[in-house]
Amino acid sequence: MIESKLGECVFSRSEIEQRVKEIAAVVNRDFIGKRPLIISILRGAIFFTVDLTRLLTIPYDLDFMSLSNFKTGFKKVEIEKDIDEEVADRDVIIIEDIIDTGLTLNYLIRVMEKRFPSSVVTCTLLDCFDRRFIEVPVHYSCFDIPDIYVVGYGLDFRGDYRNLMEIYTLHDPSGRSTQILKQMGKGGSR
Amino acid sequence: MENVVIITISRETESLGDEIAGQLSQLLNYECIDREQLATLLHEAGQDDLDENIDRNKFLIWAKNVREILYKQTRKKPIIFLGRGGQTIFQNGPHTFHLLIVSSPEIRLKRIMKKYRQDEVTASHILSELDRKRERFLLEALGADWKNPLLYHLVLNTAFYSVDQSCQVIQEAIKNIGPHPVSREQQPLFPSLDFGGNQVEFVHPSEEEFSRILDFYRIKWLYEPRTFPLVWDSEGNVTEAFSPDFYLPDFDLFIELTTQKQKLVRKKNRKVKRLRELYPQIKIKVIYSRDYMHLLQKFGVEDNT
Repeated sequence: MIESKLGECVFSRSEIEQRVKEIAAVVNRDFIGKRPLIISILRGAIFFTVDLTRLLTIPYDLDFMSLSNFKTGFKKVEIEKDIDEEVADRDVIIIEDIIDTGLTLNYLIRVMEKRFPSSVVTCTLLDCFDRRFIEVPVHYSCFDIPDIYVVGYGLDFRGDYRNLMEIYTLHDPSGRSTQILKQMGKGGSR
Repeated sequence: MENVVIITISRETESLGDEIAGQLSQLLNYECIDREQLATLLHEAGQDDLDENIDRNKFLIWAKNVREILYKQTRKKPIIFLGRGGQTIFQNGPHTFHLLIVSSPEIRLKRIMKKYRQDEVTASHILSELDRKRERFLLEALGADWKNPLLYHLVLNTAFYSVDQSCQVIQEAIKNIGPHPVSREQQPLFPSLDFGGNQVEFVHPSEEEFSRILDFYRIKWLYEPRTFPLVWDSEGNVTEAFSPDFYLPDFDLFIELTTQKQKLVRKKNRKVKRLRELYPQIKIKVIYSRDYMHLLQKFGVEDNT
């Protein structure tokens, strides 16, 4: 079982900066001549969204959306904060902090499709394919990560660690996370 | 019924809408116009029918042509217009009556199983695909949720009425129609998606928790709907079989939860491997204990299993 103590560094600040720059360049290229509507999913994607959008040279509109949590007692997922912009006939980019099970993104795509966008693409900081059980399209991904619990750069554990500039594991006394990181050629405490 | 010259019928897949339209047309002596007959009328008028690549603008042009052609048709005889977004084409039109026919997913599923002689899994996938196609057409054409009850004069649930009874109810409703036009204020995002999950008795609490997560994300599921024979004896009797916990029709995917001890997991892994060998077309995802713990942790659920 993981603990709330920080573990090892998975992606350093410079690695994140470099990948965000690369993804921004691809988005700039793919959306040249267009004005996409960028929808950032609160709260985890906020840091990634800010850094990514600062590097965009294309014109764009930025909006935010948040969904209810399973743990807050809702029987069905609800949109807690909807976007203000119209989606119809727009090219939409959904920005997520992490795509793992695919459940949230699948729901978001269904919501967007009901609003008649021209296109919907997804962009994520982290893609954890090992935890996926619903197929979802991932168009832009900064990093693939294995099945480990990570925090930092927007991702939290019970509200903590969002503000970190790097991405860390949470301390895992079983040593499993460390072992996986070693296989990735990663590791190192804060 | 002379006050109503156009009855539009929108219906869910296998909700008995076609049967009701046929019987009603005989009882009222109205001409029943379905997709094929409409295509013929459009062709005779030198107009194109809608193709697969439908969009809102194409639909609006097409709808205008349909409206003109069918109004002309009513001069000969009143009509029942089946499907094709009739409730929108003739929305707030004079002397029209808009009817939506629905039925519960469980009953529609049983009708599909009977009609196509398929098991629950295959039938649920067929139903899901047919619903998806219909929904896609209507969503792109109408720009609104076609199941919004405020688009209709009457919504009839054939879970409770036979075709005969439905026709009686509809005739009474048309006779007593009031002057108020329909409104389209309410637009629920998704109609009910459950396949009667509330009545399911789960073997393990983790399965029930998992079903709640699927419900939360409005993902349709069936619980242990199919058993796959894995091993047979020399006389052809099944000696080992496997029933995955969940089937998700929209993804044509089976899910197996394993929150057991390692020894039992190994046994289950062997079964899954055998299933994949024997039934390569089947998509199955195994969620192991660790994955499941992560899932619960992500959703903030205490593990009571």
